[in-house]
Amino acid sequence: MLARIIVYFCYFLKTSDRYRQTKRFFYDLLENPQSKMKSYFDVFMICLVMLSVFFLVYSVEHTLNTTGEFFEQVVVFIFISEYLLRAWLFSDSHQIIIKEYEKTEYLNIRFNLLNTLRLVFAKKLEYMLSLFAIIDLLAILPSYRPLRILRILLIFRMFKLFRYSNSIKVFADVLASKRFELITLAIFMGFLVFISSIAIYLFENNSSGGNVRHLYDAFYWSIVTISTVGYGDITPITFGGRLVAITLILTGLGVLAFFTSIIVAAFSDKMHTLRENRTYAELSRYNDFIIICGFGRVGQEVAKQFKKDQQAFVIIDKDEHNIFLAKEQQFLAIHDDASINAVLINAGINNGATAVLCTTGNDVINVYITLTSRYLNPEINIISRANRQDNVSKLYQAGANTVIQPFEIAGLLAAEYIGQPVAFEAILGILQDQKQISMETLIVQPNCLLEKQKIGKLDFENRKLMLVGVISTNQKHRKHRNRYKVKNQHFYFNPEQNFELQEQDILVVLGRKYSIEYFQDQIKKSSLNIGS
Amino acid sequence: MKKIAIFGYNLRSFEAISRLDQNLYDLLIVEPDSSLAALAEEKGYKTALIDFRSDEALNSIGLGKDIEIIFCFLPEDSENVFLTLSARALDQNLNIIAIVDTAQSAEKLIAAGANKIIDPYQICGQKIHELITKPDIANIIDHTVFGRNDLHVAEILIPENSYLDNTFTSELTLNEKHNLVLLGIVDKELGDDLHFSIGEKDHKLDPGDIIVVMGPSREIKAFKKEVEYVQSNKI
Repeated sequence: MLARIIVYFCYFLKTSDRYRQTKRFFYDLLENPQSKMKSYFDVFMICLVMLSVFFLVYSVEHTLNTTGEFFEQVVVFIFISEYLLRAWLFSDSHQIIIKEYEKTEYLNIRFNLLNTLRLVFAKKLEYMLSLFAIIDLLAILPSYRPLRILRILLIFRMFKLFRYSNSIKVFADVLASKRFELITLAIFMGFLVFISSIAIYLFENNSSGGNVRHLYDAFYWSIVTISTVGYGDITPITFGGRLVAITLILTGLGVLAFFTSIIVAAFSDKMHTLRENRTYAELSRYNDFIIICGFGRVGQEVAKQFKKDQQAFVIIDKDEHNIFLAKEQQFLAIHDDASINAVLINAGINNGATAVLCTTGNDVINVYITLTSRYLNPEINIISRANRQDNVSKLYQAGANTVIQPFEIAGLLAAEYIGQPVAFEAILGILQDQKQISMETLIVQPNCLLEKQKIGKLDFENRKLMLVGVISTNQKHRKHRNRYKVKNQHFYFNPEQNFELQEQDILVVLGRKYSIEYFQDQIKKSSLNIGS
Repeated sequence: MKKIAIFGYNLRSFEAISRLDQNLYDLLIVEPDSSLAALAEEKGYKTALIDFRSDEALNSIGLGKDIEIIFCFLPEDSENVFLTLSARALDQNLNIIAIVDTAQSAEKLIAAGANKIIDPYQICGQKIHELITKPDIANIIDHTVFGRNDLHVAEILIPENSYLDNTFTSELTLNEKHNLVLLGIVDKELGDDLHFSIGEKDHKLDPGDIIVVMGPSREIKAFKKEVEYVQSNKI
């Protein structure tokens, strides 16, 4: 009967949205490394631990008043809640029970509640035996009155600090990556300490007139000497003892240098990944960024423009010098090969990136990156650079949305400059947004002042704007002249006075930035007014 | 017929060469590399195989005599700077257009005496930026400026005794009469700067002024003819 109730309750938990949401909330608060709440919680806990340690230090020589006692109780309450919550989050007990129950149902055998509970408990025990859980527990226990004797264990509260920062994990990772070297060194040091302890004890024991009373002293002296610390509380006086000391100091220097170099090398190896991880972490905060593959001349120019717009972007380049240049300007940069799937996935091609730009100087690489990107994300906007005319079609085939040829544009402009220098300046002016004059689009929003208006009625001249044309997909405009097909819509150049604007039409205007912005604001406002 | 010398037959110059109308210009390809020169010759271009480092060789192809314009499309910036310097020394009135690889070289080329610098990478970068931020505009520009469609940008010089003489830009109403959009004007009274016609100032047209218009090529041609026809009539 009891078993049935428990199983029923488990199914209830499984289907309960509220239970799931609560668990999710605490997961975000305590464990989820991506959540903002966790970082706030971590800071809060660090402050709490610091404060409680401060009270502890204070209580060494003073007695705490009631406020202090109360604070201590609050801290312990928070610690206990945290401990229990973490134990709860560690595993889904109801799932274990349900799994066991369904297994017995399938096999048609009796459901053994005790065995199942043992499984649940084993899982929780696994948590309790983890290093951090033990530290947590040790930080709480000494507050229990009968265990006051363990007050010294309150030191463990300080270890709790490690829980709330990544530093210890990074350090452990670094040490783990050099396990072989460290073990070799440890074994060597163990032998060395063992030999020198025995030797110094033999030479310097009390009966020989030395200061070493027992083996523990000898061990202590060896460690102090090998580490080149040398307190000097125990010093060898016999000839043999001093010889041991000299040998030990010289070997100690070597051991220390070796140890330092291992740690430094491990850190510098790890640094690259650490930095890259930081780049990825920063990228995960954006949900609209652009991946620039290749930080050559074109990539640099694009990055410069995006920086001006405050548009987020990340640079991927194989070349170390280019990455150095990018980092110098504090751009997010990944030193890797953009044609590798994992690199693009890590950079977020499916996770917030809106466009991939292939701007390397090598068409073969551009085709490869384009192909990889299209394969990874069929929707993303890919703009690729082609240096040779014959490769344009290949890039389109590989999946590029747009292909740009630097030399084509340059050649065209050069030819234009010869024949029509003034027109050239006009084109360049529009292309480069010179003199604050630019060509912009204005969308006819539903119910705004432009909708159902005739072009002739809109006084563009007075607004200090020039209408170049209208882009539209609307069938109603088909009868008008000057219709040009542009991609999958139509561009109506120089529309007639009786051209009636429809919703979602796009006006192409030329003008100064502020006249355009002002008009845009007016359009937005008018669409809101009538709508409300 | 203007004589143009194009230095360098390579990726960078192909497009410019193909864009230059051979009915309007007398093109001469100058290439120091014999295999590339042979390639240009094969394509039917007038080609000179010379070493651009020697002034005599430059003289021999007509620099300092009848060549009016040179394009420096050599593969290295340093070569282009050298060529610009030599060419400028030979002919003070030469129109020199050079292409650059790195941003720093642009200043050096200007200092060496080039009239116009074209930085393909910069323009390409700006184009990519525009494709991301303003894709519609980028497409329109492709179809108008880069001539993928019938729309073009053209400049028209106002001749002496033109019927446009003494008219104001506001009176032109090109968009109604000629199906053209007036992009801007160079008003000689105000210097050589181009003023975009965005309703800021009404300019009076005088002989020597230049107007820039955008529109279908047929209408541009018709308008040009009209402007010139009136002139010849009066004379």
